[in-house]
Amino acid sequence: MTEGKPFNIDLGRLKSREKDRSPQALEKVDRAGEELGFIGRDAQKRRGRRPSPRTGQVHAKVMPEVSEEIANEAKRRGVQQGVIIEEAWALYKDKSGN
Amino acid sequence: MPTVVIASPKGGAGKSTTAILLGTELAHAGANVVMLDCDPNRSLTLWADRGPLPDRMRVLSNVTESEIVKTIKQYDTDGQIVIVDLEGVASRLVSRAISQADLVITPMRATTLDATIGIRALQLIAEEEEALDRKIPHAVVFTMTKAIRSKQHSGISSSLAAQGVDLIDPPLMERSAFSALFEFGGNLRNMPAQGNMNGAIDNAAQFAQAVYKRLAGEV
Repeated sequence: MTEGKPFNIDLGRLKSREKDRSPQALEKVDRAGEELGFIGRDAQKRRGRRPSPRTGQVHAKVMPEVSEEIANEAKRRGVQQGVIIEEAWALYKDKSGN
Repeated sequence: MPTVVIASPKGGAGKSTTAILLGTELAHAGANVVMLDCDPNRSLTLWADRGPLPDRMRVLSNVTESEIVKTIKQYDTDGQIVIVDLEGVASRLVSRAISQADLVITPMRATTLDATIGIRALQLIAEEEEALDRKIPHAVVFTMTKAIRSKQHSGISSSLAAQGVDLIDPPLMERSAFSALFEFGGNLRNMPAQGNMNGAIDNAAQFAQAVYKRLAGEV
């Protein structure tokens, strides 16, 4: 049997049976499975916005027009105000040679 | 063309090895085979990535609970055999796949623990048959068997046969060539020799032939 094809397959004899794939049939299958402990185990998608990694805070009071400009720029770019402050800090560090 | 589902809620029963041996032997014999990897451990995908896939074979990875029915429907067409390798847990994915099967094969090591847990797949099939009012052909294959049959193996075998369970003969023996599939990929015929290759190939081919006979309605 190890030489050549081990056996001949007559593809014409291999038929698929008709299967009920309706939502009602699937519900019956799910219910039958659940009774025997075959339950849904797919990872559930997380709902809502993911928590921000920005957990640090600064306590800065600035002039009203600066506050408004930061808020407008953040809104325009669709980012948190903290991103603007992080970028400003990066520029400051760069300018200071840090 | 038929859909063959390899199912057992017991991990380590030999589901992926059974799926690969069946798929590669049927492809070698001339069938087009689509393998669905539904196991989060991605055993089939790891095997497929190890070496070139045999001719006439495709492997689809990461098929989930919500996709399994429509994926089987998509590939359950004329000209190809679908083989579904499931995860080793009791899950809704398993029950949905079984509902779409033309034959369910439950691999089982010849131990009391494997038999006890594996039997849950047979119970599920019986429940689904009743729920769907359709016969779902199924069979058990013993895996990792030794040349000399243990008393435990004989006892479990007799017990299942007495309950009318269809036992596939030959069982799949414990062979280094079978486990080496995950090292080299491909099929038994193109891998470097591992132990008794002729014995391994004969075992796999006769197993695939026994499955084919069931699919063709000869058993």
